[in-house]
Amino acid sequence: MEFPTDLKYLATHEWVKIEGDIATVGISDHAQDQLGEIVFVELPDTGVLEKGAVAANVESSKAVGEVVMPVSGEVTAVNENLEDEPETVNSSPYGNGWIFKVKMSNPSEADGLLDAAAYQATL
Amino acid sequence: MTETNIRKTPLSEMHEKLGAKLVNFEDWKMPVKFEGVIEEHIWTREHAGIFDISHMTEFMLEGPDCIPFLKHIMTNSIGIGDFAAQYQHMCYSNGTVVDDLYIYRESAEKVRIIANAQTLETDGKDFNWLKEHIGEYKVKITDLSLERTRFAFQGPETLKLLNPMTDKDLTQIKRFRWCYTNIIVNSEEIPIFCSRTGYSGEDDWSDSLASFEISCENKHATKLYQIFLDTGAKPIGLGARDSLRLECCYALYGNDINNEITTIEANLGWVVKEKEGVEFIGQEVLLKQKSEGSKRISVGLNLLDKGILRAGYKVLKDEMEIGFITSGTYAPTLNKTIGLALINSDYKTMGTELDILIRGKKKRAVIVKTPFYTRGKKN
Repeated sequence: MEFPTDLKYLATHEWVKIEGDIATVGISDHAQDQLGEIVFVELPDTGVLEKGAVAANVESSKAVGEVVMPVSGEVTAVNENLEDEPETVNSSPYGNGWIFKVKMSNPSEADGLLDAAAYQATL
Repeated sequence: MTETNIRKTPLSEMHEKLGAKLVNFEDWKMPVKFEGVIEEHIWTREHAGIFDISHMTEFMLEGPDCIPFLKHIMTNSIGIGDFAAQYQHMCYSNGTVVDDLYIYRESAEKVRIIANAQTLETDGKDFNWLKEHIGEYKVKITDLSLERTRFAFQGPETLKLLNPMTDKDLTQIKRFRWCYTNIIVNSEEIPIFCSRTGYSGEDDWSDSLASFEISCENKHATKLYQIFLDTGAKPIGLGARDSLRLECCYALYGNDINNEITTIEANLGWVVKEKEGVEFIGQEVLLKQKSEGSKRISVGLNLLDKGILRAGYKVLKDEMEIGFITSGTYAPTLNKTIGLALINSDYKTMGTELDILIRGKKKRAVIVKTPFYTRGKKN
């Protein structure tokens, strides 16, 4: 199982890639493995959401996993490919399985996120 | 619930070695998946799979009054011959369901029952219900649940894989019939109870496609599991067991039937039969609902919008709440989201569009014909 060190993580199993004021969000390899085959991803509506709000839902045949906003901001893009190929979250959780992008309203919130080692320690 | 209280089946350790993801199901440590739910589902539809169903309960009734007793406590006819099996409900007097189960008649004086698993809290529910109602009937009941290990061997290749190992020709076992036979491998004989029944929908009455449910003494369990796996059949978890059964609209106790839903409401009227000279528990309510219809009825749904139906979601018609989802899943064979809903019978017409409330948002669904899947046909 991989936990890329260039990403930040939440204890609730989201990963975040920070590029300037844009945060790309997905779920970790561990999370996709725990959920099993993803059969549906409910993508967020674009708009402003607070940190901690449920933005998306990732559903496997047996469970629903919530994807929360790791930082506050405006959802500017969603991965529409997941509507037809939700299993991409399983096959490429850190790549093509990204779920949405946020334009951060308060980039300092990203400082509170976990690094790969700290996240792995929570598992 | 502490982890240590969770019960293991005789096969749990083998599941673990096979790479299963084990979960707590009804306080049993059970494999939810091995390779993947969808993969296992499709494998079972196309090949053959082995399911550990040892969490279920198994009882033996013996005595001269077995048949009259069963006629009193079960809703279906009981009118079967020796070495035949019949699906049954045991109901409360209000018609709601104590449990659904199979009876396997060996003779008029010996009948086996295989029923659902119980949690630690409800442990003994069926056994006690049966025992409490024996009264004057000359029947002795024995709980075999923890002495025996239960398997389901399901899928179109089952017969081809299983039959060469048994000392009885299983092609002679008709659907809903059973036998005692021995599995003979390397001059070793393992006696099994072998019933042509199942929960996967992969038995279409054609004798070349028979699927079986099997039980054996615990001491043979791991050996038998290995023998079954060595045939090339794959281990299948509870996840696929659920999606397989839901495609066929087989009821799941606790979801589609329970102590608040009657057999008729669950659209299982065929399980309710008036029996000459005997009144069965729940008869008054169930026969009335069967002839007049019930206020609520279970219907099959396809979700038209994207999403997954799950038990408990509210069903709306023109903003009015008319029922709720009792089971839902992504159906791999059909590539659709399917579900069963218990709704106000006024809206049960096929083709009716309804809304399902999913996390506060309305998603469109339509009532469709059930079962969703019949072997050889995709509805």
